[in-house]
Amino acid sequence: MNSPKRTLVFGLLASGLLAGCGGNVTLKAPTIPEPLLEQIDMSVGVRMPENFEHFVHEEEIYGSQSWSIDLGRSNAALFEQLFAYMFSRVVVLAPGDDPQLMPIDALIEPSIDAFEFSTPEQSNTEAFAVWIRYRVKVYDPEGKLVSNWPVAAYGKSQTTMLGDSEALQQAAVLAMRDAAALMIMKFDNVTRISSLAGGASQPTSPLLRRQQSTEAGEQAAAPEGATSE
Amino acid sequence: MSNRLVAIRIPLILAAAMLGSGCITSTVMDARTSNTGISADESIVIMAKSYHLGNETERKYIRCIEDRLGRGREGLNVIPHDQFVDSLFPWFEPRTAPAETKNLAKLMDRPGVADAIAAQGVRYIIWLDGDTDRVAGGGSLSCAAGPGGGGCFGFAWWQKDADYDASIWDLRELESSGTVSADVSGTSFMPALVIPIPMIARTQARACKTLADQLHNFIVQDESA
Repeated sequence: MNSPKRTLVFGLLASGLLAGCGGNVTLKAPTIPEPLLEQIDMSVGVRMPENFEHFVHEEEIYGSQSWSIDLGRSNAALFEQLFAYMFSRVVVLAPGDDPQLMPIDALIEPSIDAFEFSTPEQSNTEAFAVWIRYRVKVYDPEGKLVSNWPVAAYGKSQTTMLGDSEALQQAAVLAMRDAAALMIMKFDNVTRISSLAGGASQPTSPLLRRQQSTEAGEQAAAPEGATSE
Repeated sequence: MSNRLVAIRIPLILAAAMLGSGCITSTVMDARTSNTGISADESIVIMAKSYHLGNETERKYIRCIEDRLGRGREGLNVIPHDQFVDSLFPWFEPRTAPAETKNLAKLMDRPGVADAIAAQGVRYIIWLDGDTDRVAGGGSLSCAAGPGGGGCFGFAWWQKDADYDASIWDLRELESSGTVSADVSGTSFMPALVIPIPMIARTQARACKTLADQLHNFIVQDESA
């Protein structure tokens, strides 16, 4: 074997071995199945945090390798799909949008509090586990915080011949699916969002309310921690 | 390597392979609580009990049971568990799946659930619980290589236990039909005299075959007949 060919073969082998270590994981946006549920007939706005468009978790495990888990816009995709199934009308707000100018019954603001995972070496099992703690805040049309709900989700996936990366991705997708299942089951019980149905501001009234609040020197943003469940 | 040495080794390896593949012992039991039976237009689903409850049934074991129960002329209609779980999202997720048959009536009342189950003709759900673990091992085996060649010397062994329980739920009667369990223990050996000769006990595969055969008999056999 001549030198360039040998270099190429060794390079491919080395890159293959490194890829097998699975230190970098990139998650494709998950797809949740159409749920069997009674859709809530109301109009909601959804304000995604900036990091939902590109969330990267980096962690160095002591005595082991470093991990970089790129969730991409998986979180945004999850909540977009979920709320589209749960509510009859959903508006995803752009960064500059003012929710008080929109005909919505409620504003939902999901965020991510924590992302954690464990490797088979840490748990002494053959599985990767992922925990995601989301936080879902619900505001009424006036911008008052009516619910602040921490949602803890868990996913677990066994290692396969396809490698650690595949198992960790699967565990993360299962954790997101777990969060979706929990929210479908309990969203209305916990947040009482359906009680806000029909309270949508009309196209003219938000402008009026905005002018009034400006005159009063009030902030449109809702207070933090009004309700915690 | 001389031709004579090769001529001696090949029969040795073949003999070892023919002698088998480690030792396996298995026990299978069932406990019936109601009559069963299945018609040609009915199907079954194999599910793993939730990992939220600490269960660690392997996906490949579930697939193995699905394959064996659906195989052949006498095979049952098996709905792949992923397809079933997706069609009933979110009611059969690890967090939300019913843990007892007494929850089935409430589940069936949820919007779309009974229709989705009826559309797939699902008569029985089989819940699997258990896993395969390495429980013991020992011996010593070492290998070395040099310019003139290499080889291994020693003896190693390990034991795996596969313990699985299956609960059969009848979705037509909304009750438990009974349970089937398979406990399989397998010991593998690897003697090495220059060449390691693995004699592997396929513990999980045996547990799959044993449990699937018993499940098939359990479901098909209508004791009321």
